[in-house]
Amino acid sequence: MNKDKIFKLAKGFRGRAKDCIRIARERVEKALQYSYRDRRTKKRDMRSLWIERINAGTRLQGVNYGNFMHGLMKENIQLNRKVLSELSMHESYSFKALVDVSRNAFPGNKKVALPPKKEGVSIVV
Amino acid sequence: MASTATAFSLSATSSAFRLSLAHFPKQNHNSSFVSLPKPTLSHSLSSRKSIFTQNLSSKPSFSLIPKFSESEAPVIEPETAPDPESTEIDIGVEVETASTQIVEVEKEVPKREEVFAIVMIGSRQYILFPGRFIYTQRLKGANVNDKIILNKVLLVGTKNSTYIGKPVVTNAAVHAVVEEQGLNPKVIVFKYKKKKNYRRKIGHRQPNTRIRITGITGYLDYPATTLES
Repeated sequence: MNKDKIFKLAKGFRGRAKDCIRIARERVEKALQYSYRDRRTKKRDMRSLWIERINAGTRLQGVNYGNFMHGLMKENIQLNRKVLSELSMHESYSFKALVDVSRNAFPGNKKVALPPKKEGVSIVV
Repeated sequence: MASTATAFSLSATSSAFRLSLAHFPKQNHNSSFVSLPKPTLSHSLSSRKSIFTQNLSSKPSFSLIPKFSESEAPVIEPETAPDPESTEIDIGVEVETASTQIVEVEKEVPKREEVFAIVMIGSRQYILFPGRFIYTQRLKGANVNDKIILNKVLLVGTKNSTYIGKPVVTNAAVHAVVEEQGLNPKVIVFKYKKKKNYRRKIGHRQPNTRIRITGITGYLDYPATTLES
């Protein structure tokens, strides 16, 4: 790549890496390597983010993520985690319907049937 | 992580800027439909505005340019016969008047049904709203302004009920129009091995298709989960 292209890719870099060609070339090459690698890790990261969100959404209803997904697989519902996380954020009633379906299909949460109550010790005076 | 996730869902966005053109007027929106207000940050790949929020804040997420946008395409109602001519005329008039007005007072917006569908296209799943567009993998054999029917509908949600497909909602169809067959923005694929003098630089643009959703039909006969309220 010639110098202009390197400097164009080096916008926003720190210090001399955006001004001096010798340093910029190295940093740009590193940046491109990182972007190659991270296009692959982005898929992993997003999936774990979706799982976190689904977990949070289902635990509000008293079901944890593992049992929820097991129930969905049993019912042959093929929604993927991206869409489930979006539903858990924005369409809470549809998500609640899904949680109920999963709970009926796989009642693995006998102990956590209700949303977990706070464990404060309340002494009746 | 539960607390932050719930913080996402509970934080209300201030309606930063008014929606443009063909959106639901906020003042006349009498729905008692309650959904969690849209969080401010969203890392989701399908960044979209939920049309069910009371505030109707259309703030797009920070990370990605919103791929869904409202438009004035004629929308197919599920049961009534589509009447594209009259709706187009209405929309045309509104465009001219809305652009000259700052405050939108009692616009006659064609009432779009509040329904969404989750559809699988090209082995990816999308949440679709009528009137918005999405980018999908390139659909071979589809020309511009072709009408398309998407069959693999996994879930349909309306204002008071949800139709959960196992795996597919039978006979549901999403009608769409192909708008454009283009290319994704370029990514540079750079391969490098250190100390071995190996560098390869390749540019890549993945072909895509932009389709605009016109309507969602055919889900009413399916057993639904209805909200009792």
